[in-house]
Amino acid sequence: MSEPLFFPWVSTSLFLLSVSTVVTTFQMTGIEKARRQITSVMATVFLLLIGAGIEVERSGAARLHEPLPGWGQWAVLDSLNGLPLPLYAGLALGMIILAPRRKVTAGWLAGIQILTLSSIVAYATNNLALFAIAWGASLIPFLGSRFFNRPGVVTIPRGAQLTLTASALLVILGAILLALGTESSQWSTRLSLGLPRHGQSVILSLAFLLLMLGVILRKGLFPAHGWVAPSFAQGPLIPLSLLFNGHLGAFLIARVAIPAFPEIASAALPALGDLGLLTAGYTAILAISERSPRRLLALLTISQSSFLVAGLESTNADAIAGALVHWQVVVVATSILTAVHTSLEARLTRPIDGQEFLGLGKGAPRLAVFFALGGLALVGLPLTLGYAAEDLLLHGTLETHPHLGIILPIVTALNAFHVMRLFTTTFLGQPVRAALTITDALPRERWVLTAAILFLIIGGLYPAVFVHLPARAAENLIHSVTRIGP
Amino acid sequence: MELIIGIILLLPALTTAGLGLGWLVGLRISERTIARLTGGCYSLTTGLVIVLGGWMASNRLDTVRLLIGSWFEVHTYRFPLLLQIDRLSLPLVALSVILVGVIGAFSQRYMHREGGYVRFFFLLNLFGTGVLLLFMAGSFDLMIAGWELVGLTSVLLIGFFQQRNEPVKSALRVFLVYRVCDIGLLTGVAMLHHYVGAATVDRVFTHPWPDGASLLTGIGATVVGLLFLLAAMGKSAQVPFSGWLPRAMEGPTPSSAIFYGALSVHAGAYLLLRSQPLIESSALVSVAVVVVGILTAIHGTMVGRTAVDAKTSIAYASMTQLGLIFAEIGSGLKWFALLHLSGHIVVRTLQFLRAPSTLHDHHRRYSASGGEPSTNGAHFELLLPVGLRIWLYRLALERGYHDTILERALVSPIIRVSAWLQYLENRIAIALFGPSEHPIYHQSQPGPSGYAGARPEEPAGRVRVDQPRAAAGNGVEGTDV
Repeated sequence: MSEPLFFPWVSTSLFLLSVSTVVTTFQMTGIEKARRQITSVMATVFLLLIGAGIEVERSGAARLHEPLPGWGQWAVLDSLNGLPLPLYAGLALGMIILAPRRKVTAGWLAGIQILTLSSIVAYATNNLALFAIAWGASLIPFLGSRFFNRPGVVTIPRGAQLTLTASALLVILGAILLALGTESSQWSTRLSLGLPRHGQSVILSLAFLLLMLGVILRKGLFPAHGWVAPSFAQGPLIPLSLLFNGHLGAFLIARVAIPAFPEIASAALPALGDLGLLTAGYTAILAISERSPRRLLALLTISQSSFLVAGLESTNADAIAGALVHWQVVVVATSILTAVHTSLEARLTRPIDGQEFLGLGKGAPRLAVFFALGGLALVGLPLTLGYAAEDLLLHGTLETHPHLGIILPIVTALNAFHVMRLFTTTFLGQPVRAALTITDALPRERWVLTAAILFLIIGGLYPAVFVHLPARAAENLIHSVTRIGP
Repeated sequence: MELIIGIILLLPALTTAGLGLGWLVGLRISERTIARLTGGCYSLTTGLVIVLGGWMASNRLDTVRLLIGSWFEVHTYRFPLLLQIDRLSLPLVALSVILVGVIGAFSQRYMHREGGYVRFFFLLNLFGTGVLLLFMAGSFDLMIAGWELVGLTSVLLIGFFQQRNEPVKSALRVFLVYRVCDIGLLTGVAMLHHYVGAATVDRVFTHPWPDGASLLTGIGATVVGLLFLLAAMGKSAQVPFSGWLPRAMEGPTPSSAIFYGALSVHAGAYLLLRSQPLIESSALVSVAVVVVGILTAIHGTMVGRTAVDAKTSIAYASMTQLGLIFAEIGSGLKWFALLHLSGHIVVRTLQFLRAPSTLHDHHRRYSASGGEPSTNGAHFELLLPVGLRIWLYRLALERGYHDTILERALVSPIIRVSAWLQYLENRIAIALFGPSEHPIYHQSQPGPSGYAGARPEEPAGRVRVDQPRAAAGNGVEGTDV
């Protein structure tokens, strides 16, 4: 049973976002004006979702629903999505503010809003069909030519588009099979997320398989990781970062796969966890001979994100909580890296190729510090939230995978080296001429990046605040696997 | 009185935070203010350590602990914020606060008007925080935090002269060695949780240092002991991970003194001393620690004799003594090792700080003694056959070929595998989706150290085409970024 929220936080947020998206898509006002309007809308959504998160944190109840007569049950808020919702809204807001102005078009803004809207729906919904539609909708801006495309610039390579389309089709098909295979006379039960499923085992197993394949493709787990690096290399970095940092694949595992298929999950998910560790290791090795900063960023993002899957599949509370905390760290830290890199690219007239030391720290010392702190937090720098995440993940995975768990510290060490390599080649060494006249962080960049860094550092000094909800979510997940159920 | 432990840690942390935030918000803090802040912080801290030590001695206390609380908790796992001062950590904490203060005072003049003055003091204070956390940690979990802060500040100070490529490359190389060896500490601590169910010092050992016995024995003790040894070898530049130490001399001399003469390089020895009961319970680990120490001592003394500059010479002398300290720890000579370590810290700091004045010192000695001072000490190597001496000389000149061996046996194969996998992936992508959408990026073979910066230097006076957008002619600088 769930209790009603004090205010329809999510529904209001979605209403605002929908109106704003429609206006941006069909009403061509000046870009700067549109950007300011959307920033205001995003800031409101962010505050609303923070309100939702605080209510979830304080309620102590297992589940809360929107206080809308008849429609309230469409969204459920609990310890699993209480943090990702405001985090994602904050991320989208930050990225809109940080995006270099020359990259922002009406289509770009509309695309970001569609991405945000669909991700928030996917996080919040309690309806399987809505989840699958949101999963697919979040990919639309990358498949169409209206959003992130500019003349002569590709959105993402065709291979990546095919992979993402396949992931959407697989998840939609999996959702259909899941609904059809569940034995229930009520469609509300069939379409409800997170309930244990009873029914035709063959169809349910097939549904599970399709859903997991969808996750593998979207998250870029081995061997489907190939779409990420070329997309980062050629495509729009900020939207791609937002797409990847939605972590809808990890969310699907936690929200649907584990509670809905306790038996299948306990048998099959360890293999997926091993695949996560393998991906983390493989991409870290690939990154050794990689020089292109964009591709290196992509490989780092995949490698660190793969720990989420490895932690989530575990039946260990430490590892699951560690994975959920790591989620926050990956989202914020990789976004900092992406934003700083994009800002630097905008300041130079050609892409940064990583072939030599650029010494950009000479002219942009603050951007260098933001980059270094974000990168080091990503790989578990002490006194940042990354350290708490790494500590929990390491203990948990070594408990459940004594042999494979050793991959985690090795991969973290390798990734730390990659972060440092990226930092040194970009910011240190003999400065190129452009480094002497480059602009340092602009006020809007400085404030947003400072807020992101403060999140990581305050999270490192008082991790209990950010670990509390994930810890509760971890215990709920373990209960659902062991069928005790909250 | 226990609260003093927390204050000792808090003062450098606050100084670091103050300097960092001040810089970030654009405050212009004068050199004098920075030096006074640092000096004041460490004077106060030294006073507090003396008070604490006196209180412990007068009350005949072995250990003082301060449990601040749990950093975070999940299910049954909790990360305790436990600080402690005992007979092992007290002398090291005292030495740390005194020496960091001394280095701060020395650097006030040495770094005067040097670009990056604030950065230097920020990193020095961060190092002070890290090293105090390392020595005062009451659990191995917390020790990791101090350990990594020490490593990071060390790397950032090696690359202090960041506008030259060589220091940056050296810093990256040191970082790689640190990270590889840190795997030992991370995994070792996780293993402690697995075997013992906790990683606090009082739960792993029966009694306070130096009387405790390890609660973990057998295969568990061997595994954890070997992992800790790996971590200690990296931090204390033991064979075969010793190649980073001479490279670390790229940093400013005061940082070389505090890191590679005094505290950072001794962190590995401290870890082994802290976990000595664990090492003692496993014959294999004890022997390994002694063997590594002796090999390092021989290596250090041999190579040090062929070093041609003062700082490298001192670095290898330091490595030699560290090797001996390791051998003492492996042999169970705890007190002797602690005394040796403490004395060594002080002597090396002095030597490093005097290194820039070597010529001046030599001239003064020359004048005082009325001519060239006579050589002293027996040169036992003269007893060796000439052929062997030449062979050893070449071996020493090449620093034991350690870097070459590690590079050929470990680094190069990994880079080749990585490059081959990249190539394979690109071929598959081209086969599947066509060449136009998956151009093979210029994956030129990374340099010998395996990172992108390891390329031949560009000719001087290079001119790059990449200009800021403003310079490219859009009128107002930065308006469209």
